[in-house]
Amino acid sequence: MKKIAIEHLARVEGNGGVTATIDGRLVTDVKFFVNEGPRLVERLVLGKTPEEDVNLVPRICAICSVSHRYAAIRSLENALGVEVPPKVTLLRELMHLGEMIESHSLHVYFLALPDYLGFPSAVAMASKYGFETKIALEMKQFGNLIMETVSGRFIHGENPVIGGFGKYPSREELVWIKNRAIQFMPFVLKTAKLFAELNYPDCPEAETIFACLNPDQDRFGFVGDEILLSTGERINIKDYRDLTNEFHVSHSTCKRSLYKGKPYSVGALARINNLGERLEGEVKRLYKKYFNSRWKKNPLYNNAAQGLEILYSFERIPQVIDELLKLPDPALVKYTKKEGKGVGAVEAPRGTLFHSYEVSGGRIAFADIITPTAQNAEDIEKYCYLAAQKLLEEGQEDKIKERMDLVVRSFDPCISCSAHMAQVRRAGEENWKEKLARLRKSESLIFVGLGNQNHGDDGAGRELALKLREQGVKDVWLEEEIEDSFGEKNSRRRLIFIDAVCFGESPGKIVLLPLQYIFWNSVLSHRLSPFLSGQLNYHQLKNSFVLGIQPESIEEGKGISRSVSQALQKILNEIKN
Amino acid sequence: MQKDKLKIGIYELTGCAGDALLILDCEEELVNIFKAANIESFLMAKSDNLDGELDVAFVEGSVTSEKERQEILDIRQRSRIVVAIGICSCFGGIQAAFLEEKDWEENFKKVYETKDLIYIQPLQSKPIDEYIKVDYYLPGCPIGKEQFLSTFSRILAGNSPELYRFPVCVECKWNENDCLLNKDILCLGPLTRAGCNSVCINHKLPCVGCWGPSEEGNRTSEFSLLLEKGFDPQLIKQKMANFSGTRISEFLATLKGVKK
Repeated sequence: MKKIAIEHLARVEGNGGVTATIDGRLVTDVKFFVNEGPRLVERLVLGKTPEEDVNLVPRICAICSVSHRYAAIRSLENALGVEVPPKVTLLRELMHLGEMIESHSLHVYFLALPDYLGFPSAVAMASKYGFETKIALEMKQFGNLIMETVSGRFIHGENPVIGGFGKYPSREELVWIKNRAIQFMPFVLKTAKLFAELNYPDCPEAETIFACLNPDQDRFGFVGDEILLSTGERINIKDYRDLTNEFHVSHSTCKRSLYKGKPYSVGALARINNLGERLEGEVKRLYKKYFNSRWKKNPLYNNAAQGLEILYSFERIPQVIDELLKLPDPALVKYTKKEGKGVGAVEAPRGTLFHSYEVSGGRIAFADIITPTAQNAEDIEKYCYLAAQKLLEEGQEDKIKERMDLVVRSFDPCISCSAHMAQVRRAGEENWKEKLARLRKSESLIFVGLGNQNHGDDGAGRELALKLREQGVKDVWLEEEIEDSFGEKNSRRRLIFIDAVCFGESPGKIVLLPLQYIFWNSVLSHRLSPFLSGQLNYHQLKNSFVLGIQPESIEEGKGISRSVSQALQKILNEIKN
Repeated sequence: MQKDKLKIGIYELTGCAGDALLILDCEEELVNIFKAANIESFLMAKSDNLDGELDVAFVEGSVTSEKERQEILDIRQRSRIVVAIGICSCFGGIQAAFLEEKDWEENFKKVYETKDLIYIQPLQSKPIDEYIKVDYYLPGCPIGKEQFLSTFSRILAGNSPELYRFPVCVECKWNENDCLLNKDILCLGPLTRAGCNSVCINHKLPCVGCWGPSEEGNRTSEFSLLLEKGFDPQLIKQKMANFSGTRISEFLATLKGVKK
C-alpha cells in the first residue's frame, strides 16, 4: 500500500495537509487534515465583555480578520439591539471590499497562479512576469490600504467597534481611494479575464451544493441575514445550525459540516453560482461571457470566481464612496442592554462565516464560530478523492500529489481559522488484516453480511456472515436484519460490511474500504449506496468500512468461486483469532 | 543561490498567521527581502522549502502540540539566531488564556469532546521560550512592519536589533493624543509594549494591550488608578490578561499592596 502525503500545503494560510492512500488500483482513503494547534477561542471569550470579544476573535485568522470582526460585531449588535446608521454600514462594506481585494489578489496571483504557470513561488514567477507581478502586488496593497484607512491597521485593526467606528476616514482619504480604484480598472479587467480564461483541468468534476449569504434587495454582495442554497432553499441565519451542524473528525483539529448529510461548498465560486445573475456593470458582461456549467462542478473555477469578485469590488468602491461622502460622521451608538442572543454572518473571502453569541449580565455566556474552511473540509476531501481516483485510473499516478495540492489550494483554505509542499512518501504497509485488527482492538465492531446467494460471488458477504455465526462470533448481522438490530445502543458503533465489490483487481483480493468512498466512487457503482443512505446515521456512514472481496463472477445461478472461497477462509481465520 | 547571503527561515506554529502575512504585506520591500537573503523556508509564500542549517529563524505562533514542540526543537538546533515574532510566539498568545492545566483540559474537552481523539497530541499553549532559547523577541499582534524591517536589516548587517522597551504611552505622546485615562476610559497604554504607533488611541479608542506586557510598565500604579476610577478589579485583570499570555502570572504577581 502506498501513501501520497502532502504534509504541509505550501502557499495556503495556516498549517495543514492532505494524504491519499492507494491500494492497487483503488484510492482507499483521502484525508484533509489541519495541524493547526487547538486554540479554544470559543471558550476563552466566555466571561469577556462584548467589546473584548470583538478585540479577541479577529485573532482567529489574520487574513480574514476584518470578516471575523465584522461578523462578531453584527452578531453582538443583533444580540444587544444596536442599530447603526447607514454611514456605518457603508463604511463597513468598504473595509470588507478592501479585505476581498487583498485576499483574492493574494490568492489568485501569488498562491494559485504560480501553479498554472509552473513556478514554485510568486517570487520565481516575478522574474519572468515582472510587470504583472508588480501591479498585482499594488492591487493587493490597495486592498490593505483600504483596510488600514478604515480599520486602523492592515491586520487586526481595532477601529470598527460595536455601534460604529472610533474615527471616520477623512474626505480626502475617501476621494483618494475612489480615484485609485478607478485608475486600477484596466488591470482589474485584465485580471478577471485572465482567471476566467485559465485552462483549468477537467478533473475533478462533480456536482455539489453551494451555499452563500443572500444580500438584501436582490443585490450581489457579501453580507445578509439569510443563507441561499443552490438547491433553492433559504435558511434564516438564526437557524445556521440547520446548515452547518458541526462535528469533528479524529484526524484533524478543524471541525466539519454537512448539509442534510451532504458536503457543500462556500466561497467565491458559491457566490458566483448562486448570485451571479444579480451582477451589474462590467462584471455582468464578463459573467455572461465566461460562466458555464463547469463552474457548477469544478472547484478549480474558484479562481475564476475570485477574479470576477475582484472586478465587482473595484466597481462597487466608487459607488460606496459617493454615498459615504454625502453623509455626516455619526457618533458611536451606545447601548444599555446586558442580555441577548444574536447571530451575525458575513461572507469572508473564502466563504460564509457565522458568529453566534449569547450575552448575559453584560458578559459573553455562549460563543459559536463557524468558519468557511470548516464548511469546505468535506468537499475538499471529496474532490481530492475524485481527482486521485480518476488520475489513478488514467495511469497518471505521478500527477496525484500535484493535483490534490491544486484542489486544496483552489478552495483558498484559511487553515489557521480552525497549511504548506511535501514529498511523496511510501508509508509502512497496513493491509486489511492489520487495519481490521487495529479497529477491533479499539472497539467492538458489528459485521454485516450483504449480497445475494443466487448470484455467484455476490453471495460472499452473506456466506461469511453465516459462517461467523456458526463459529460463535458475536454481533454478526445479515442485510435484512439491520433495521431490527439497530436501536439506540448500536447507533454509535462502527459497522463492517462484508460484500463482493468490483474494483478491477484479481478475484479474491481483499480490501478494507471506508464506506463513504463507495458513495463517491463512480467505478464502484453499488447497490449499497441507496440502501445505506436511508438506514445509517452520518456517524456510521463516516466511520464504517466495507470489507470488499473482488468477485470472479456474479452470474445468476452460480455458486461461489474458488478464489473467493479462499478469500472468505482468510477473513474467517482472521476474525476468529 | 549566492553563498554569502544569510539563510533565513520563516516558520508558523499555532496562531493566526498574521505575522507571516504581515511579512507578505511588506509588498514593496518583499522583493528586496527575498533578494537580500536566501529565504530557505517560508511556507506561506513558496513551495520549494528546505529544512537545513539556517542563520536566522523567525518563528510565529505558540507551541500547542507535541508535533510543534518537536518542530521548535528542530528549528533551534539548526538555527544560529531564533527570533520570536508576534505575541503568540513571545508570550503564548490569546490561546494561553487557560493557565491552569486542569482548566485547559476541561475547556479542551468541551470543544473537542475528548482529548485523546486528536492525533497531534495537544499541549497547553506556551511561548516558544518555554522550550528553547530565544535570541530576540519581536512582539505585536501582528508585528509592525517598521519594527520587522528594521530588525531584519539589522540582523542582516550583523547587528543586534533595537526594540522598544517603553510603553505605548510614549508613542501616544509623540502623536499628541489626549490621554484616555484622563477621560476615565480603561486604556492599557501604560502597560503595553510600544511599536504600534499608538494606533487605537489615534482612533480615539483605548489600547487593548495587543502588543503584550511592557517590562517597564508600572502595573501597581495603573491598577490602583483604575480602581480609584471605579473599574471592577476582575475586569481590569481580565483586560490585562487578554494579550499577555503566560506572562500574566508575573504581571499579576507584581501587583503588590493593592487592595482589591
